[in-house]
Amino acid sequence: MSRIGVFICHCGENISRTVDVERVALEVGKLPGVSFSTDYKYMCSDPGQNLLKKAIQDQKLTHVVVAACSPRMHEVTFRKATEAAGLNPFLCEMANIREHCSWVHENREEATIKAIDIVGMMVERVKKNRVLPTITVPVTKRSLVIGGGIAGIQAALDIADCGHEVILVEREPSLGGHMAQLSETFPTLDCSQCIMTPKMVDVANHPKIKLYTYSEIELVEGYIGNFQVTIKKRARSVDEDKCTGCGVCMTKCPQKKIPNKFDQNIGMRTAIYVPFPQAVPNTPVIDRENCTWYKTGKCGVCQKVCGPGAVDFEQEDQLIVEAVGAIVVATGFDLYTIDEKPKGSPIKGYGEFGHGKIPDVIDGMTFERLASASGPTGGKILRPSDGKEPKQIVFIQCIGSRAREKGISYCSKVCCMYTAKHTMLYHHKVHDGQAYVFFMDARTPGKSYDEFWRRSIEEEEAVYIRGMVSRLYQKGDKIVVMGSDIAVGVQVEIEADMVVLATAIQPQKGADALAQKLGISYDKYNFYSEAHAKLRPVECATAGIYLAGACQGPKDIPETVSQASAAAAKVMTLFSKDKLEREPIVARVKESACVGCFACKKVCAYGAVEVKEIRDRQGNLIKTVAYVNPGVCSGCGTCQATCPSKCVELDGYTDEQIVAMIEAL
Amino acid sequence: MTPIDTSIYAAITDAIQTEAGRILSEGQVTAVVGYAAARRKGSAQPIVISNPDDAQKLIFTAACVNNLAVYLTKAKKEIPKTGKIGIVVKGCDLKALSGLMGESQLKREDLYLIGVPCAGVLGSTVQPATELTTGTIAAKCTECDAHLPTGCDFVPNQTPITPELEQKYAVEIARLEALTPAERWAYWQEQFSKCIKCYACRQVCPFCFCEQCLCDRNKPQMVETTPRPAGNTAWHIVRAMHLAGRCAGCAECERVCPMDIPLNLLNRKMAKELKELYDHEASFEVLDKGPLTMFTDKDDQSFIK
Repeated sequence: MSRIGVFICHCGENISRTVDVERVALEVGKLPGVSFSTDYKYMCSDPGQNLLKKAIQDQKLTHVVVAACSPRMHEVTFRKATEAAGLNPFLCEMANIREHCSWVHENREEATIKAIDIVGMMVERVKKNRVLPTITVPVTKRSLVIGGGIAGIQAALDIADCGHEVILVEREPSLGGHMAQLSETFPTLDCSQCIMTPKMVDVANHPKIKLYTYSEIELVEGYIGNFQVTIKKRARSVDEDKCTGCGVCMTKCPQKKIPNKFDQNIGMRTAIYVPFPQAVPNTPVIDRENCTWYKTGKCGVCQKVCGPGAVDFEQEDQLIVEAVGAIVVATGFDLYTIDEKPKGSPIKGYGEFGHGKIPDVIDGMTFERLASASGPTGGKILRPSDGKEPKQIVFIQCIGSRAREKGISYCSKVCCMYTAKHTMLYHHKVHDGQAYVFFMDARTPGKSYDEFWRRSIEEEEAVYIRGMVSRLYQKGDKIVVMGSDIAVGVQVEIEADMVVLATAIQPQKGADALAQKLGISYDKYNFYSEAHAKLRPVECATAGIYLAGACQGPKDIPETVSQASAAAAKVMTLFSKDKLEREPIVARVKESACVGCFACKKVCAYGAVEVKEIRDRQGNLIKTVAYVNPGVCSGCGTCQATCPSKCVELDGYTDEQIVAMIEAL
Repeated sequence: MTPIDTSIYAAITDAIQTEAGRILSEGQVTAVVGYAAARRKGSAQPIVISNPDDAQKLIFTAACVNNLAVYLTKAKKEIPKTGKIGIVVKGCDLKALSGLMGESQLKREDLYLIGVPCAGVLGSTVQPATELTTGTIAAKCTECDAHLPTGCDFVPNQTPITPELEQKYAVEIARLEALTPAERWAYWQEQFSKCIKCYACRQVCPFCFCEQCLCDRNKPQMVETTPRPAGNTAWHIVRAMHLAGRCAGCAECERVCPMDIPLNLLNRKMAKELKELYDHEASFEVLDKGPLTMFTDKDDQSFIK
């Protein structure tokens, strides 16, 4: 016989204003199986919880129903209190008489009757609750970090410094990402490479970090604490163990005119190359598409000149499987394609601004390379067309960003600040030059950010024009920029030597494909989605996978680094325990009735359903049935809804319980 | 009432007998499920043979209406366990077998499929010895797109002559769709009120392979067991929904119904919905996931209002 205790919460006045809580307590007290019922002003408060604990012990309660707010809010609170009083926590259920009743009704009489019904239903359900033991799964204390930009590097270093092994996977031949491309960084103007490269070297030298560059994620299987990741290590054509990084191969390679992606294609590289001098690892890679040996089968100069014999034309892609317990996704961003509409993308290009047609219309990242001391011009601001120094330069902000008609409605967040920085860098390098900026708003929230922007105008003489550009065209060796100054209300025409477009930040190409491999969700722009915008900003909805950096949304460096450390902290929290506790609200298969059609397996979004063979003692196969792995099951109940003979059921939500609830009405 | 040419059936019978005798005597299969002559003149019944000498009992005529796929699932569990099984299949039966393979109930390598080129079989209300005509042909055969099974281990080299026929279910569905919802409800209520809950439709259906039917459960009781209107309606809705996207259209349920409830009409309507919503049709193809156990971002979302 059940001895159910029912506790009705006033929630201050949130519930008691509309619901007659005393009457609810009185009425449900009469229900069969209920041996105790009471009401209290704040059940979640300490005295409220003590009331519950005391009642469980004094009244020898077998089940508990707390009628209060949503279980999303306080189910954990009351289950802990129930456990503290010596009952299995899963014998406690909540009846939601706040969101589902008092908040949405005005008529006190009717709301009270509805509250009685809601509590009555939960009384019937809790009667059939089973004692559930907490599920524990082992944790593999190794972490995978995808992406070797500043976000991935920071997360990897933090986790590794804590003593846990890290597998860092980077798609490009070197670590560094976009931060390695930048010249100087706002708001302090310190050299990006100077602060970035020591961290890259730290990663390479860290005994706990295993680095895979020129590699990609091929397959992700498993679940929190127990992922199996297949990594595709692309053939470098250079043996990393033999190569000393002397660079002779690069000086002798006859293919010298290949645009270097790292330099935004304005600098040139050889076919065997490292993307930039500070690359980590400092092992070259052969670009097989442009290498003479791969194209014609002749040449092989690099192999001949290589002292240690590291060049290996026969090297093949390798598949490596690594077991990890947590994954940090830090794949970063890409810049908006201005001149052409990406294939199949709903996002439109900006053909009217002449990018790709007029050589001196460049994007912000190209300007970074021009301004960088290690860039193709050695840090001189020179026009790509004729190598002259531009004396009038126009910066245009919000290219792509905040343009719903172009398909991107969000703000790219960093462009206001980096354009202000660009005007300063320009002023420092071209003393007699003049910078103009067309902008919509200047968005400068952040420590020392607004001061930095003001400085670009007040001390570095940048002219800011509020308004957008309508047209650009080449006239002789000048670019005529036509726009409006809406602050003054006049049309403006500037004959510029160079134009820099602050293009929108987008997720990396292929971000959606990676998300599908990982089983994480992403928004319509392919930015990865966090589990909760405010309270769980670095976790994915998929347990054990965390986000860092611009793959989640546009971010600047300080924010990226903070998030990377936060993601690392989450990983370390996970690794602080040897076993992982999971809520035991999982599906169970009634094997005697299961006929093995595996409809449940087909619909399971978590891959929790496995095939189980039932054999007799002689090992003869009796039947093949479905088995739900409790370590993976997330308790969504899709299998239960799909099973034609209803032989898979979710604990706490069995058909018997649901029908009992309906019949209680 | 134009006669339909069934002259190839004699040659098919010969071919089936030879093939079944061969695979049994060579030990390729342990048993063959097929049709044999029954007691009444011209009638046929299912038979399971394991002796090569019994192969000459096998026939194929227009009276061979049964879907033999059901003999490989729960109904005759001991048959598949004996080893590899030969089975005589019409196109509609092969669709059911393909469905069962997709739902992990059968494995292709455990079967030896003897496909039958079929011009049609007799309707359930006509006498077995009747000649096959446009009037006596089974309703399902008027809509058949599977006269010639493919992917079988053996198919007699015959080509059925299949005249274009008026699609009986399509006509009836169009008539019902033109009714108001209240009229349609009244129509089905009248049909379901005839049901005596004998569950013959369930027993004959190859897709009703559950070991414990949802409708036999009593904790909680999902469907009222007594033949009263509410429980009858619930049973037939459960049946139609469970068959949606799976039913191969063999119409055995309708044939065996002692109360003449047009059960396959309901199945055809569900199949039509599935075709419109997910472009799915039952076929010889073994699908990894059926239309209702698969999600794609192109799925119809119009039901969310």
